[in-house]
Amino acid sequence: MTRLIVDPLTRVEGHGRVELLLKDGRLEDVRVRLLESPRLFEALVVGHRYDEVPDLICRICAICSAVHKVTSLQALENAMCVIVPPLAAMLRELLVLGGHIQSHALHLFCLILPDLQGTPDVVALLRQGDPLAKAGLELKAFGNHIQQVAGGRVIHPINPVFGGVAYRPAADALGSLAEELSRWQRDWPELAASFLQAGNYPHAGPVLGSAVATGLSNIFSLGGGGLWVEGEGELPAASYAKLLMEQARADSYAKDAAGASGPFLTGALARARLSAQEGLAFGFPEDDTGIHANNAAQIREIGRALQRVAQLLDTLLATDNDEPLQSDRKQSLGGGSGTALMEAPRGLLVHHYVVDEWGTVVAADIVTPTAINQRVMAAQVLADLAGEEDPARLQDVTARIIRAYDPCISCAVHLVSIDRSPGEHAEGRSDGPEGVIGIKSSVF
Amino acid sequence: MKPGVLLKLAWLRFTSCSGCQLMLVNCESSLAPLANLVEIDTFPLVSSACGNSEIFDFALVEGALTTPGEIVRLLALRRKSRLLVAVGACALTGGVNALVNGDRSRALAAVYGDQGTQWDTFAPQPVDHFVKVDWRIPGCPPERHELLQSFASILHGGWPGRQVMAVCMECRSNENRCLLLEDQAPCLGPVTSAGCNAACPGQGVPCEGCRGMMPEANVAEMCALLMAAGLPEQAIRHRLERFGEARND
Repeated sequence: MTRLIVDPLTRVEGHGRVELLLKDGRLEDVRVRLLESPRLFEALVVGHRYDEVPDLICRICAICSAVHKVTSLQALENAMCVIVPPLAAMLRELLVLGGHIQSHALHLFCLILPDLQGTPDVVALLRQGDPLAKAGLELKAFGNHIQQVAGGRVIHPINPVFGGVAYRPAADALGSLAEELSRWQRDWPELAASFLQAGNYPHAGPVLGSAVATGLSNIFSLGGGGLWVEGEGELPAASYAKLLMEQARADSYAKDAAGASGPFLTGALARARLSAQEGLAFGFPEDDTGIHANNAAQIREIGRALQRVAQLLDTLLATDNDEPLQSDRKQSLGGGSGTALMEAPRGLLVHHYVVDEWGTVVAADIVTPTAINQRVMAAQVLADLAGEEDPARLQDVTARIIRAYDPCISCAVHLVSIDRSPGEHAEGRSDGPEGVIGIKSSVF
Repeated sequence: MKPGVLLKLAWLRFTSCSGCQLMLVNCESSLAPLANLVEIDTFPLVSSACGNSEIFDFALVEGALTTPGEIVRLLALRRKSRLLVAVGACALTGGVNALVNGDRSRALAAVYGDQGTQWDTFAPQPVDHFVKVDWRIPGCPPERHELLQSFASILHGGWPGRQVMAVCMECRSNENRCLLLEDQAPCLGPVTSAGCNAACPGQGVPCEGCRGMMPEANVAEMCALLMAAGLPEQAIRHRLERFGEARND
C-alpha cells in the first residue's frame, strides 16, 4: 500500500489534506483529513453569560461569522423563549444574505475561477486584467457592503445582539445598497454565464450523498424550519444529533460504510436538489459535471440572494422609524435549551445551547456544514477516481473535487478526525509501513 | 524596492478563524494594484503556488500557536523571511482561543471525547513567544487600511507611524455619544488601542477591546467605571479577558 498525499489543500478555507491509498498503483481508498488545530469553542463558551456567547462563537470562522452569530443568537433566544421583532429579523436576514453573496463570490471568483482559466490564483488573473475576476471582486465587495450596513462590520458583525439588533442602519446607507443592487441585478447573468456552462467543468461522476438542508431553501432559510433530508422529508430540528452527529462520529476514521441515510451532502447543490423536489427546477446537467455542479448552484444562489435583498431593502426602507429593535422581554429570563438550524453558505449549520436559570451557558454543541460533508468528500474522490493510476491526475482531480464543495475547515470545529501526530505535514514523516510518495507541495 | 521586481510574500495561518487573511481579500479594489507589486509564494487560502522561494521579502502570520507542528512551521517561516508581521488578536495574544479555562485536557475530552486527550496540543501562545516579530497589526478583525498601509510601507522600506492613544480619543474627535458614561454600557474604549476610528462605539455598540490594551492602560479605573455601570465582577473579568490580555493580572 502506498500513500499519495495532497497537502496542503489550496484555495480552500482552512488546513486540510487528502490521503490517497494506492494498492498495486491503483487508487483503493481515500481519507480526508481536516487538520485545523482544536479550538475548543464548545468548551470555552461554557461558564459565560448568554449574551457574551454570540460574540465569542462568531470567531469560529471569519467567512461564516455572520451566519454563526445569527444562528447562535437564535439558538439562545429559543432556549430562553425570546422572540425578536420583525425589523430585527429582517436586518439579520439581510446580513446573512450579504454573507452568502460575499462567501459565494469569494469561492467562485477567487478560488474556482483560477481553475477555469488555468492560473494558480486570482492575483495572476488580476495581473492579466481578467475582466471576470475584476467584476467578481466587485460583486464580492457588494456582499461586504451589505454586511457592513446590516451588521456594522464585514467580519464578526456587531449589530445583531441578544433579543434583536443594536441599531437601525441609516436610511441613506440602505438607500446606497438599493442603488448598487440595481447594477448587480442587471449584470448578474453576465457574471454567471461561465459558471453555468457545463463544458467549463471537468467531466465527473454522479454526485454522492443524501441532500440535507433546513427549510425549503428556495431562499436561505433563517431558521425556524426543520431538517430536510432527501427521500425522508422533514424531521424536527432537535433530531439533528440523532441524524447527523452519531453517524458522523461513527465514521470519523471509517472508510465507507454509509449508514441508512448517509453520507450526507449539504450546501448549494443540496439546497438546489431539495428545492427541485418542491417544483423549483434547477436545470443544470448535474450528471456530466458531478460535484462541480455545486459551483453552478452557488452562482444561481447569488442571483436568488440579490432578489431577496431587493425585497428586504424595499420593506426596510418603508418601515416606520419607531419600530422596535429588540424584544422587550429581557428581564426575568429563565433557563432552558435551544436549537437553531440555518443555511450557511456551505450548508446546514446547527447551534445548540443549554442555559441555566442564572443565564450562564452550561453546554454547547455546534455542527458545521464541512463536518457534515467530510465523509461524502472522501467517498466522492474514491468514486470518481477508483482504479486511477496516474499520480498527477490523481492529485489534480482530487484537489478540484474537494474545492468544488467549498469546504470551510476552520468551521469544522466539531466531529473532525484530527491527526494526532505532532508533525502535521507529510514532510519527513513516516507512520507505519506505508510509503509516502508524490507530495505535491509543502508549506515547510 | 527595485522597479519591476515583485516582492515575495508568504502568509501562514495557525490557530484562528481566517479573518485576518480574509480581510486582505476583502480589500477588493486594492488587489489589482497590489498584484503588480507583490507575488504570492505561499498563501494556501488564495493560491496554489507553494513554497518555492529561498527567501521571502515579507511574511505574515495569523493565529495563535497550539501544536508542536505549528511551532516547527513558524520557525521555518522566520528563517526564510526578511520581515515577519504578526496579524490579529490571536497572533498577538492568543485571542479568544485562550479563553479555555483551567485544565485543557478536560476541555479536549469534553469536545472530542477520549481520543482528544491524546492530542499533542498546548494552551494558545502568541507568535512572539517563539520568534522575533518585526511589526504588529492588531484587531479582531484587523482594519483593512492598516494591512494596506503596512504593505505600502514595506514596499518603500520602513513601517507606518502609530499613534498611541485610546479608542476613547477617536470617539471624542468624532463627537460620538459616550456609551460608558451616558448609557452605562460596558465600553472598553478608555483602555483599548485606537486605530479603528472607534468603529463599534461610533455605531452605538460598546467597544469589546479587540485591538488590545494600550500601553499603561488604567485598568483599575476601567474596572471601577464598569462596576459603577452595574456590571458584576465576573462579567467585568470576562469582558477584559476576551482578547487574551489581563488574564494573568
